[in-house]
Amino acid sequence: MEDNQNSAPGSVPSGKLGGARKTADPGQNAAKRLQTELMMLMTSPAPGVSAFPSADGNLLSWRATIEGPDDTPYAGLTFKLSFEFPSNYPYAAPTVLFTTPIYHPNVDFSGRICLDILKDKWTAAYNIQTVLLSLQSLLGEPNNASPLNGEAAELWDKDPTLFKTKVMDRHKDVEED
Amino acid sequence: MSAATAASPWKNRRRRIFQSVFQTDVSGPATSYTHHDPFAFGSGAATATSDQQVIYDGAWHTVTARISLPPSATAEELFETLAPDSQQQSSSGEDVEFNQALDLLVHAPTVLPWATPRTDDIMAWHAQQVRAHFSHHVIPILTACVGEQQQQQQQQGDRNEPNMVVVMTSIKTLQAALGLYSHGLGLLMRGLSPAAASDSSTSSSGGAVGEAELVEARFRRDIHALVAISASEGLMASLRIVLVRLIGTVLGIPSADGGQRTGESQRPTARARPVPPTENDFLALAARRRLHELVEQLYNVGLAGERFQVLFAEIMDWMMSNFVSGAYGGVWAAASDARTFAAATDTISRNPAALSSTSPCILSLSDWIENHFARLSVEVLSRLSPSSSSPPVTLSDVKTYQSLALGRLAALRIAELFDIALAWPSSRGALDDLRATITTAPRRQQLTASFSRALQARLLHPGCSTLDILHTYIAIIHTLHALDHSKVMLGHVEPSLQLYLCQREDAIRIVVAGLLASPDEVRAARKATEAFKRQGERRQKDGDAGSSSRWKRAEGSGAALFATPAARSGRSTRTPGTRRLREATPESGSQSRTTTPRGDRDRDRPSAGPTKLVELALLLNDPSQTRRAQPADDEGLDWDDMSWVPDPVDAGANYKRPKSEDVIGTLISALGSEDVFIKEFTAVIAERLLGDPNRFDQELRLLELLKQRFGEAALQNCDVMIKDVLDSRRLDTVIRRMRQLQDHGRFEQQQQQQQQQQAPLMRTPAGPMAAYNNNNNRKKDEAEVAETQYHACILSRLFWPALDHEHFLLPPPIVDKQKQYEKAYKSLKSGRKLTWLNQLGQTRVELELRDRTVTVDCSTAEATVIYAFHDADAGEDAPPARRSADELYNQLQMDEDLIAAALSFWASKGVLRRAQQGEYVVAETLAAPGGGSWEQQQGTAGVPSDKNANNNNNNNNGKAPRRAGKTAGGGGGAGGGDAKEQERRAMYWQYIRGMLTNSSASMPLAQMAMMMKMLIADGFPWSNEELQEFLGEKIAGGEMEVVGGKYKLVKK
Repeated sequence: MEDNQNSAPGSVPSGKLGGARKTADPGQNAAKRLQTELMMLMTSPAPGVSAFPSADGNLLSWRATIEGPDDTPYAGLTFKLSFEFPSNYPYAAPTVLFTTPIYHPNVDFSGRICLDILKDKWTAAYNIQTVLLSLQSLLGEPNNASPLNGEAAELWDKDPTLFKTKVMDRHKDVEED
Repeated sequence: MSAATAASPWKNRRRRIFQSVFQTDVSGPATSYTHHDPFAFGSGAATATSDQQVIYDGAWHTVTARISLPPSATAEELFETLAPDSQQQSSSGEDVEFNQALDLLVHAPTVLPWATPRTDDIMAWHAQQVRAHFSHHVIPILTACVGEQQQQQQQQGDRNEPNMVVVMTSIKTLQAALGLYSHGLGLLMRGLSPAAASDSSTSSSGGAVGEAELVEARFRRDIHALVAISASEGLMASLRIVLVRLIGTVLGIPSADGGQRTGESQRPTARARPVPPTENDFLALAARRRLHELVEQLYNVGLAGERFQVLFAEIMDWMMSNFVSGAYGGVWAAASDARTFAAATDTISRNPAALSSTSPCILSLSDWIENHFARLSVEVLSRLSPSSSSPPVTLSDVKTYQSLALGRLAALRIAELFDIALAWPSSRGALDDLRATITTAPRRQQLTASFSRALQARLLHPGCSTLDILHTYIAIIHTLHALDHSKVMLGHVEPSLQLYLCQREDAIRIVVAGLLASPDEVRAARKATEAFKRQGERRQKDGDAGSSSRWKRAEGSGAALFATPAARSGRSTRTPGTRRLREATPESGSQSRTTTPRGDRDRDRPSAGPTKLVELALLLNDPSQTRRAQPADDEGLDWDDMSWVPDPVDAGANYKRPKSEDVIGTLISALGSEDVFIKEFTAVIAERLLGDPNRFDQELRLLELLKQRFGEAALQNCDVMIKDVLDSRRLDTVIRRMRQLQDHGRFEQQQQQQQQQQAPLMRTPAGPMAAYNNNNNRKKDEAEVAETQYHACILSRLFWPALDHEHFLLPPPIVDKQKQYEKAYKSLKSGRKLTWLNQLGQTRVELELRDRTVTVDCSTAEATVIYAFHDADAGEDAPPARRSADELYNQLQMDEDLIAAALSFWASKGVLRRAQQGEYVVAETLAAPGGGSWEQQQGTAGVPSDKNANNNNNNNNGKAPRRAGKTAGGGGGAGGGDAKEQERRAMYWQYIRGMLTNSSASMPLAQMAMMMKMLIADGFPWSNEELQEFLGEKIAGGEMEVVGGKYKLVKK
């Protein structure tokens, strides 16, 4: 609002001076940023991943889709995720969950994900697309050192066939409506 | 006398017959006889008594048979029997007999001393007869005719005629019945009168006649009471409707069912305004005559009792309210409207002198009260009590009526006050009304309370933008000052407004920006004001300055207020409730679609631009607005002040009489303390000084004016700030000269012209210094060695508002410059240290691209970002520089938001282009202006020279590889506009796919449109129909399908 009403000729937008930008409602900033991210996602989509705000129109809650990468046990499967953004996003990480059941060493049975960039390694430089791409690569390269699903971590190396079977057993398309 | 011996059983039988015939159990004489019966056998006078009783009974029978009422009566019979003459012509023989019998009864005390004579009995019997007859026959007829008509009126819908019929039939019925009753009474009275005459020898004749009149009067009173009590609700309702119509016509108030029946038939509008009828208004005269007749008739049949008077009073009261609200609601014009008050003008001169100085509304209202309202009251009331000698309405009553009407007017204006304030200054007339009518403390209180409520409901809510609130506030200050020069009322209203404004952070900024409005804006505002005035005059001339124009104004504002936020999308806070500022009525809603929003804004906001409080600048230059500081002892001692009035009663203890309207002062004090305002003012001034330090006449002027208001000391900081700017200009010249001497020719490699300005300086030894860079890049000839010019502005830290230090890395050449500047400064002013505020500078950047040179004035942050695209090592054939936001973030250590803003700034200038993956690419070549998309042009036109200023001087005339493939793809076949449209459609399709993939597998159209509107930052211009069409194409293309009204993607 300020910028428009102060746009006296030659004046600097007030954001630069008074730090009004900083005092603005944090939720607003997050929403703006998410809107921008959405635009970026839409104009330059990455293959195999997509995301969109949830149907209720809440910008702080998104749904995303990851296609299992080829040459991984997840090839041909699609996984749904939910993103919940804090109001100070991007200064804090979003909460990301798999809503599609997935058998994976770093994902537990309620969909929680063990991924450093979603925890302590988060920086504001990450965005939804990078998170989705990281998750996509996590499907192919699990971090078996710190598994949430010990059995999966074990099977990943020992018995890829059984692993694949378990993946297919666990996977279930969630039909929302 | 055998008859006498058998008297007892026989008489008993006779009594039974009597009773059966007359259907009455009141048979006074007969009953009393039976009481005597036991006596008769025991006393010597028994025979005489019996005889006399027989004679008496015979006479009784004769009389009662004659005056008895028809046992059953239909309406027709009633009217037939009515004919009074027919009964008079009864045979003389009967007459004689009747008279004798009556005589006997009347003189029973003397003639038949033993026969328990009581003159009253025959009267009581008659009254009883009448009562019974009335209740058994007349009331059913009345009820029937009321019910019948009500049924009819429900069917017909026309309300007046049936009601008139009801009233008239009822009156006729009652007249007939009363005629019947008085016939009997007349016979009795005839009998009584001779009796009285013959009595005159023994008693005074006056006494007897008096008694007869008394009896008759009592009978009439009884019967009228009977009628009045038995009048049904339906009858009264009909009577009310009839009276309302008649009185409404007489008083010139259009009845509820439209004006076509009344005198205003020439007015086509349904909401015709009440106009007092002229002397020769035919309809009004007819109605008046009709009303007189009606009242007389009612009086004659006894319907003009208390209930009628209450009814009449209620109607008159209602008429007064109606007239006031109808005739004056929304009429605020100061000048008398030629048509509305035409009837009043010729009588104004006759008005009491006391009202001579008041507004046209009050004049015409007083006139109406005196010449129409009071007159009608006199006419009606005098017919209700024709015998009374004193006039029914005295002069003091008229005064009471007038003050009542003024009270109504005051209430009306109080209710309208918020709208009146909005309509300022065209609503002065209404304020005159208010000033004249708000005379008592309770009314003042009522006004302020009601106005505060209106404020809360219509202004002080999140739906109103701060600008709107401030506009309205200014109007309120004007309005209430016009109403009450003492400003006490304003003081009562203000607190809530002030409290609310304190929550609006941008309020002070808006006010200061308004105060700093440039002369151009002021001129524009003046012009708008004049245009508005002319428009207003024209509107008044257009006639009917009343409701229709008011509604039009309201509509216009609705449209204008909607148009404004729509123009600036994204300011969602303004949109939702703005309309509530003016109460939206169905009328205004429907018509606003047809009116053009253009011009309405001007009309609505006479002296204001849409985004600024320009009127403040006007006021600031208005000498009458300044607060003259007067010595305190002058207060109240100006003996020559003829307009002096005592302080208002509701003034507080510390009340000080203000000398002027002082809008600005009031506004500023409303925004919090002066300190707060000055602080904010300083911030704004600082911003403006830094923004364009070469021109600050406006600021200086405002500063001087504000100094008069707040005093020198309060604005000292601003003085210092201006001095800083001037000083550093001088210093800058000095340093530049020194530097030129020292290092001339050292910066050849910096052909890129960027200038950053930063210069901070501290006046105090300890603190960091605020710095400000002023970079002017002058374009140099390519061959010439261009020096980046660098200017600094040195700010005294203590006097400037706190300025944020935004960290980022400046381009190395600029850093060099800074260092040199710092050194030079140190040599000039030892012991002081400069702290650079990099983000505050202004830069002129000259960019040499392959096909063009772009010169842009921008902020230092933007210049730094574009410099990062500068690729000194790039060969001539190198592809355009390409950076992502993340790279820039790492490279410049600049705030992400600033980077994003700068990137989009350059993208909007056409220097950068958004590429895949959030990267930006330098647009080395550009389509010719006015052509299609530049990519297409790029593909076709060879662009020989590219010089990228960012890429520095070294790339001369290199041919960069074109991204031909992409060009071909993007431009393929379609024209420029189509290509853009295609691009947009492709993007929307992405959105839709993203939505249906992730949010919900299937969605209805409306929800999709809603999401698109909400989520696309630049707005989603399509209507639902356009979206539907687009989706239809996709369905035809097999990419989507509709299932149960919801769209979904076809799974592949």
